[in-house]
Amino acid sequence: MSRHQLHITIMVHSPIIYEGLHTVLSQSDMDCVICKVDSLDDLEAILHSKKVDILITNPLLLVNREKDVKRIRKNNPHFSIVGINLGIVDSHSLALLDSSFTIFDTTEQVLSKLQKAGNNNKLKVTTNDDNLTERELDVLTKLVNGFSNKEIADSLNISIHTVVTHRKNITTKTGIRSQSGLTIYAISKKIISIEEVDLH
Amino acid sequence: MYQFCRTYVKTGMKLFDLIEENPSLLLMMQHFNIDFRVGDLTVSQLCNIEGVSEKLFISIANLYNGFRPVENPIDSVDDLRQTIEFLRNSHDYYREDKYPQISSYIKQLQENHPEKELKLLEKFFYEYFAEVIDHLDYEDNVAFPYFIELINKKTSSKTDLYSAKEYSEHHTDIELKIKDIKNLLLKYVSISDDLNLRRKLLFSLFELEYDLYIHSLIEETILIPFGYNIEKA
Repeated sequence: MSRHQLHITIMVHSPIIYEGLHTVLSQSDMDCVICKVDSLDDLEAILHSKKVDILITNPLLLVNREKDVKRIRKNNPHFSIVGINLGIVDSHSLALLDSSFTIFDTTEQVLSKLQKAGNNNKLKVTTNDDNLTERELDVLTKLVNGFSNKEIADSLNISIHTVVTHRKNITTKTGIRSQSGLTIYAISKKIISIEEVDLH
Repeated sequence: MYQFCRTYVKTGMKLFDLIEENPSLLLMMQHFNIDFRVGDLTVSQLCNIEGVSEKLFISIANLYNGFRPVENPIDSVDDLRQTIEFLRNSHDYYREDKYPQISSYIKQLQENHPEKELKLLEKFFYEYFAEVIDHLDYEDNVAFPYFIELINKKTSSKTDLYSAKEYSEHHTDIELKIKDIKNLLLKYVSISDDLNLRRKLLFSLFELEYDLYIHSLIEETILIPFGYNIEKA
């Protein structure tokens, strides 16, 4: 799953607006997952278990709900609310929004506003390629040959703690956790030759 | 396969619409022993007819749709029985449907491509499968009977040799190695052609991973907390 992915939740009553937004977002280049809720209560319920970066809503649905919105924001600091301006908006609800667009905006305008709202959330980016360092390759080779952490530490003259750190990095970079899985990885990458491996 | 963005299931919704949106709910219904011909029934009507706890059904359906339960849906002996029955039925699905299917694909793949890497992959899968069977047997023979016993006695069972805590410690994450196999197939092991077979294998792995994930969520968010509560009472 991409780390740049935006989790967007849509709360509108009009099926036409929901379907329209869904289509525009799905067909755009924006990497996002879209979810639908019917009320602020439902939103709070799902916030317990999943990430929401942006809520797109009709500001009229926030009327008289300032307290709830404030509570949700307090519990979810990295969360933006983008309103759809349908022409009738009261100033109280408007104040609850981070940004808004109208149904007459172009697709590009809508997407750029959402992207901006998403960027405010400062998503953490980590690299994840499987280029192992020389030392990690050393540890991997010993590991798939059945060496224990202690034996690896002794033979490479490093501490067990360092071996554990290398192993963690190997798993993060390759996405493979088990020793058998790493053996197959090492062979596929030609780090070790198949003849070195005991098949029985 | 496991998608996080679907409808939040509620009592008045029609099963037909929910299934159309997320066909994996059929698998959930199978684990509940509920027939697939749902007609126009709503969640609440179906649960009534089938004698399934509505709260439990909704919590698990929401897990399948990507939402964790906010509160524990079990509050009676019967709910606990239904939960365990559900978990047992999913064990049958792993043992009798998913694993034979995946192992036949891997075996076929290995026969088509005699590279030693695939021999290793097959070996890896069989070792893993043996571990999973151990785990399922353990749950069927030790953990589930313990929970049933616990609720029948309704007494504090501190003298017992077993506890919900021990269960949660024993409860290993058996999905992790599935991820390894998937990663190996999608990122590293090179196999020429055979896309049909490889796609079938990958789909089966995704399906299994999806159901195993929910399986452990049910154990972690419903069964184990419930066990703790009874032990404390």
